[in-house]
This record gives sequence, C-alpha cells and structure tokens, in this order.
Amino acid sequence: MPRAGAAGRRMLGLHQAAWIRPLLLLIVLIGSWDLAIRIFHIPPYQIPAPIDVVKSLWSDWPELIAEAWPTTYATLAGFLLSALFGIPVAMLIAASRTVESFVYPLLVFSQSVPKIAIAPLLVVWFGFDIMPKIICAFMLGFFPIVVSSVQGFKSVDPDMIDLVRAMRANRLQIYRAVSLPHAMPAIFTGLKVSATLAVVGAVVGEFVGSNSGIGYVMQRAIGTFDLPVMFSALIVLAMMGVILFWLVDFVERLVIPWHASRREDIVISAN
Amino acid sequence: MIRPLIALSLWLCCIGSAFANDKVVLMLNWYVYGEHGPFFYGKAKGLYAAEGIDLEIQEGRGSGATVQAVAAKSADFGYADVTTMMRAAIKGAPIIAVGVLNQTTAMSVMGFADKNMRKPQDIIGKTIAITPADSLTQIWPLFLKKTGLKESDVRIVAGDAQTKLNAVINGRADLLLGAVMDQSMRIKDATGKDVYCIRFADYGIHLVGDGVIANTDFVKQNPDLVRRFMAATTKAVEGAAAAPDETVDAILAADPKAGKRETLLQGFTLATQFYTTPETKDKPPFSVTDENMAESVALMVEYGGLDASAKDNPKQFYTNDYLRK
Repeated sequence: MPRAGAAGRRMLGLHQAAWIRPLLLLIVLIGSWDLAIRIFHIPPYQIPAPIDVVKSLWSDWPELIAEAWPTTYATLAGFLLSALFGIPVAMLIAASRTVESFVYPLLVFSQSVPKIAIAPLLVVWFGFDIMPKIICAFMLGFFPIVVSSVQGFKSVDPDMIDLVRAMRANRLQIYRAVSLPHAMPAIFTGLKVSATLAVVGAVVGEFVGSNSGIGYVMQRAIGTFDLPVMFSALIVLAMMGVILFWLVDFVERLVIPWHASRREDIVISAN
Repeated sequence: MIRPLIALSLWLCCIGSAFANDKVVLMLNWYVYGEHGPFFYGKAKGLYAAEGIDLEIQEGRGSGATVQAVAAKSADFGYADVTTMMRAAIKGAPIIAVGVLNQTTAMSVMGFADKNMRKPQDIIGKTIAITPADSLTQIWPLFLKKTGLKESDVRIVAGDAQTKLNAVINGRADLLLGAVMDQSMRIKDATGKDVYCIRFADYGIHLVGDGVIANTDFVKQNPDLVRRFMAATTKAVEGAAAAPDETVDAILAADPKAGKRETLLQGFTLATQFYTTPETKDKPPFSVTDENMAESVALMVEYGGLDASAKDNPKQFYTNDYLRK
C-alpha cells in the first residue's frame, strides 16, 4: 500500500511537472497573443487571431495531414541519413587526430554556409522530387550529430580504456564495452537536436521547389495572404518536430535505460 | 554689409525649411529590372525633387511582400501587381492603387525561343514551372480554358520565384509562368538566349498589372504628397518612355548590378507597351478606365479567389483622384 501511494504521488508529481506546466504556459502564451491582437488592434492580414488559426486547423486538417506525409518522409530520410553518416564520421574524428585535423575544420566551415542559400541549387541539381528535400534535411541534421558524438567519444575516461586494455581487450572490444556505451548519451543528444532541425531542412527544401508538403502549403498560404492556414501549417510542422523528438527520446530510453533513468523526469529536454 | 547677408541667409533658411523635401520610400515589387526604369529616370532627372520629394527606392521580394509592407506603413508607396493588392485588400489590408501603370496584362507562359513553343498547342506535354498561388497561377486555369487546353495537358512543377527561373535555365522545366518584360529578360541575361512569351493577353485575357499602391490612411492624411508623387511619376513615365537609353543609364547609375544594358533596355521597352489600352492611349499614364478595373475585379472574383462582394464595388481598390487630368 505505501508503495502504491508513493507511486500515485509520483505520478501526480510527474504530471504536474511534465505536462501541466508547459500546457499552462502555452495557454498563457495563446491568451496573451489573443489579448495583444485585441489591445493593439493588430489586423488579421498581419497576425491572425488564435481562434482563426484553430478554425483553419479544424477545417483544413485532412489536407494538412495529407501534405504532412511528404514532409515526414523527407524529414525521416534526411534524419536517418544524418545519423548513418554522422555517427561514423564522429567515430573517425574521435579515433584519429589526423582525420580530425583534416576533416573537422572543414566540417565547421561547411556549417557556416547558410543552407537556405544552397536550397535553390538543390532543385537545379536534383529536380522537383523528394531528393532535394532529403538532402536539405540531411544538411541541417548532420552537424549536431557529429559534434555531439565527437564530444561523446572523446570524453571516455582514459583510465577505463587502460583498464580494459590491461585485460587484453582488442580495439573492437574496447569500442563495444567502453567507448560506445560511454558516448551513447551524447549521441542521443545530437540525434534529438538533429531531429528537430531535419524538419526545418525538409521544409526549406519544399519552400524553394515542391508540388506537395507542408512547405508547399505555407508558400501557397503566403501567396493568398491566408495567414491562419500559414500558422496552422506551422503548428503541424512543430508537432512533427515534437513527435520525432519523442520517438528519439523513446528509443534512447530503450537503448540506454541506465542513462535515461538517471535523469530527472523532463518531457522535452535536449540533455 | 554683414547685416543684409545675415538677413539673406536667415531668409534662405526659412525658405529651406518651408520647402524641405518630403522623404518618401517607394518599395518595388522585386529586384530592379527594366520595368522600374521610370522611377530611376524621374529621380535622376530631378522630377521628384521638383515636387519637393526626396525619393528612396527600395527593392522588393515579390508583390505580396510589397503589398504587406505598404499596408503596414513600412513603405509609403509600393510598385506592385494590382491584382495581388486586391487579394490583400479584400482580407482587410488598408491599401489602394493610386495609379495603374500596366493596364493590360503582361502575364505569359514562356520558354526558350529555340524550343519553338509559339502557341498554346505547342506546350502540350511540356513541364511548366509555377509559384503556388501567385497571380499568374490563379489566372492560369483561365488561360487553359481560353485556349482549349486541359490541366492534364501539361506537367506542373512548383517552386519559388528563383526556382522557376532556375528550372527553365537548367532544363528542369520547359516553360514558366511569368511577365513578358521580367523573367524573359532575366533568363536572357543569364543564358544569352532568347525567350519566347505566349501572352495571355493575346488569348482574350484582360487584366490590369503593376501599379503604384499606397496605404489608405496615408493617402487620406497626405493627399497633397500623393498628388505630387503621382505628378512626378507620371512625368517620369512619359519622359522615360521617350528616352529609353537615358532611362537605362539612370537604372545602371543607381544600381550597376541591375542587369545587362541590352536586356534592361529591351525589358523597359517591352514594359512600355502595357501602359495604355485603346481607350486610354490619349490620356496621361496611370489613367485606368473604370471598365478595365471592373473587368479585372470580375476575373479575380472568378479565378483569383477574390470574395464575390468585391464586384459590387471595384472602386474600393483604386482611385484616379490623385492623377493629372
């Protein structure tokens, strides 16, 4: 019985901490948005009222969901590519000072290039299908994974490595038993940041050239001065980012439960 | 000796402050191209200064953005597509056209001249680059209807303004929807190849194009300034049309990177043909007829997503009150 009571209290505490607070803040924010529009008489062609956005979300929901799929595909593909390339690249950089000295500065340099400037060229190179959007999502999602993973692999305690080496572990064994588990939390941090950025990348790709997707809906809404639809599309986009973030978080809990269990119960956190 | 000098300089100061130039910001519809010549010509020739206006010309990022900037009073005047302005006005944006410069439509579907696409039937089976929900795309179904084509006759690819150009230049699309004096010249600038435009106007589509727009409150509060600005701009249009070379000089002096001389000249010359209709050819520039506007509004109601109520009062979108009679 006392255990159940404690669990109940914990559940209550969790709900208060994890769900109620952001929800309350959201309500306050939407309230002030509405209030600001009323007080300052902001016209609907500049900022739509929350109620109009809700109405448009309701009426355009089937279309928004249908258009969300192509964006989701591009996001997921870009994100998976980021992970597929990002983690091995990070391993190489962390493992070899030579690779690091060659690759890392260039990687940082490449990240300082604004992707939005390259996006129109991607359409020139790859056409109007899903490819440019995937690449755009990849370009945005790749870097955070590399940076976090490098940090993860590098922060392995050298004494630990010495210890297993003394136990005659070979490189692969050292990697499997020490380096990878140690780097996992940092890798997941990178993956989570990358997940939200991949959504942005996919939409940037759609913005410059696409016949479908949330980016297309947004561009059309801008053309018709239909701001409620534009904001609804933004909300759908944000929801996609959150869902993907949760998915990565969920996988993290499965893969490294020892790490997740050590953390405080926070719904969304990049740490 | 000193006293009269002081008196004179004081007097000059008074004159100066009494006639201090009004600072006016004009936002163009897009980056500078040939069509914008008159504004630069007017500025270079001092036509605006003569009306007591210190004109600053800013580049825009599409008519939609310019319309919103003018509605929000970020710019005093805008040079933008009047049908795009109608769509914003019907959503409540306080804007009005104080002069419609292009009184026939420059809309067209264009591709490289060497591809031999000269009439609507030639575009069957081709890929056309569009920008979602812009004015051209909204009128496109009407063009199809007037020319007996079906939507399924062509393949559409959508992208932003730059992507449209890139798509045609790089062969990702055969044609694009654009304005006769705008995109065709940009493509020619980039590739050196001629572009052929199949004009919507040749297939019975009558619609107004670009014009000078202003915030309705601004117009009410500054009627004299609006009148002076339109007087200078009217003179600028007349002067520029008579001196295309000087006009291009003025553009290049203000913005040496605006484009190649030859294409700017060609683009500006192309633009001048849209200034009048048979009904307004003896009138000063900008004097659009009520019938022309009513017809444009009706088309926008049918195809442009404009609310049907707009037809009852086309005059809510424009005024000729500030023009030279």
